[in-house]
Amino acid sequence: MGLRTILKKMKQKEREMRLLMLGLDNAGKTTILKKFNGEDITTISPTLGFNIKTLEHKGFKLNIWDVGGQKSLRSYWRNYFESTDGLVWVVDSADRLRLEDCRQELSALLLEERLAGATLLVFANKQDLPGALSKEAIKDALALDEIKSHHWCIIDCSAVTGEHLLAGVDWLLDDIAARIFTSD
Amino acid sequence: MDATVEMNMEKGFNGENCAPNIQERLQKRNQARIEDAERKKETKQSQSVAEEKGEYFSNAFNTERACIDELLSNCSGADRAVVTQKLEEATAKTLQLQKFLSDSILFLTPYELSKAQAALQKLQSSIAETREEAMPKKKFAFRGRTKASDKVSAKASAAAPRDSAVTKVDGAPNPKQCGFTNMSNELLTKTAEEVLNQDMLLTHLTNCKVRLYGTPSTLHLKHIDNCEILCGPVSTSVFVDHCSNSTLVFPCQQLRTHHTTNTQVYLHVTSRAIIEDCHGVSFAPFSWSYPTLHEDFAVSGLNRDTNNWSQVDDFNWLAAGTPSPNWSVLREEDRKTFL
Ligand SMILES: Nc1nc2c(ncn2[C@@H]2O[C@H](COP(=O)(O)OP(=O)(O)O)[C@@H](O)[C@H]2O)c(=O)[nH]1
Ligand SMILES: [Mg+2]
Repeated sequence: MGLRTILKKMKQKEREMRLLMLGLDNAGKTTILKKFNGEDITTISPTLGFNIKTLEHKGFKLNIWDVGGQKSLRSYWRNYFESTDGLVWVVDSADRLRLEDCRQELSALLLEERLAGATLLVFANKQDLPGALSKEAIKDALALDEIKSHHWCIIDCSAVTGEHLLAGVDWLLDDIAARIFTSD
Repeated sequence: MDATVEMNMEKGFNGENCAPNIQERLQKRNQARIEDAERKKETKQSQSVAEEKGEYFSNAFNTERACIDELLSNCSGADRAVVTQKLEEATAKTLQLQKFLSDSILFLTPYELSKAQAALQKLQSSIAETREEAMPKKKFAFRGRTKASDKVSAKASAAAPRDSAVTKVDGAPNPKQCGFTNMSNELLTKTAEEVLNQDMLLTHLTNCKVRLYGTPSTLHLKHIDNCEILCGPVSTSVFVDHCSNSTLVFPCQQLRTHHTTNTQVYLHVTSRAIIEDCHGVSFAPFSWSYPTLHEDFAVSGLNRDTNNWSQVDDFNWLAAGTPSPNWSVLREEDRKTFL
């Protein structure tokens, strides 16, 4: 058995992934995380610093990092990049006034060397709001089609109703798993 | 924050002219300053509970860190199984340490926080290095990335056809969004039917009185000057940016206030209010009553019995103990009620 096979087996045994949730403040990151985990979402406060959640899903152990998106916290984001398998970028689809800010932050993030291996899932959140932009419009506004450096996908969702959260996370896990657990 | 500290040190130690007597004087002064700082630190430490917590934190943090360092240093030359086991242990401990930091964040100063984060980062890279040494990763490189990525993007765009109607979205008015924009000297109202479950946007208002009866899902205020804005219970968050000389009155689940000055907020908030880049913002409990307020609270799902209006977090003032100078509680005799 070659070294590569041994390594693959070891990783497969752990089946652990590290996911990092980022986005502007008020996008709904903490709400998505809690909703996904079946917790109460009505008592969530703005995140001062960060939250870590470890949960099991589809036989994987997920370490999810939810980091505050306020301007004053963004310089800390890079402290969390190390060994990130998946990046979840959350967008408030109804906040068109900050879409440009959102695009700039995301494109800066994708240049980070330490995130080079990560899969990107964009959640076009708050689709329950009447003024929410479609995921197509968000895709254009964030220029996602220009991304060639990362596997990516955009999913429209609502953290309040829970719509499509599972679909997004499942896509992310499948992509990461295909990359790190079954690649040869 | 690290950078600021470094810069100050540079000015103090290297930035001065080094003629011998001046240097001596400087050294003395510096020595005195250090001693003075030590003394101040000691008295402060014995007085302040917050700092004791900080002290407790750094002791616990450093002990744990040393323990992880030791695990890692025991890895060199050990056999594979031992290394694997030690690395696992080190990784788990680092994760716990990160959790500990996360739990302690509220009473740490920005400096302590950034120091601890830097230390954690160092640990993580030592772990990665040790792992790399024991089991080189190079052999495990992925191939065909670019191709796979193209496939994924193609799939994602193929799945949902392009909506050509919306190309340039930023700043363009949205017919579905409810609100007021570019007005001055007006009385603006909306009825319960108009605002129900809407995302309301109020922008570029000057000298206006706004009454929003009913329960929007969310409310955004941007570029507001000299206005009085009253709104019924907002089921999720209120986001305020660039607001000045105004009075804001509403219940909500979260309040996020940015770039706001000289503004009074009469608030019912069931989780927390935060401010960032603000000053002169004062808070008082929500004090507007209109005929259907009671029902509207029920519709919004907000808990009427929980109001944290006076617990405001300032993102520019994370120091424990000393209150932020950027906001205050509005004096009772200065509070108004709204009808
Ligand atoms: N209508 C609606 N509100 C949401 C949704 N997701 C989050 N929110 C609200 O948006 C506000 C900010 O959410 P939070 O998770 O704290 O944002 P974060 O700063 O990204 O962590 C909260 O008041 C949430 O209730 C959503 O899908 N729809
Ligand atoms: Mg949050």
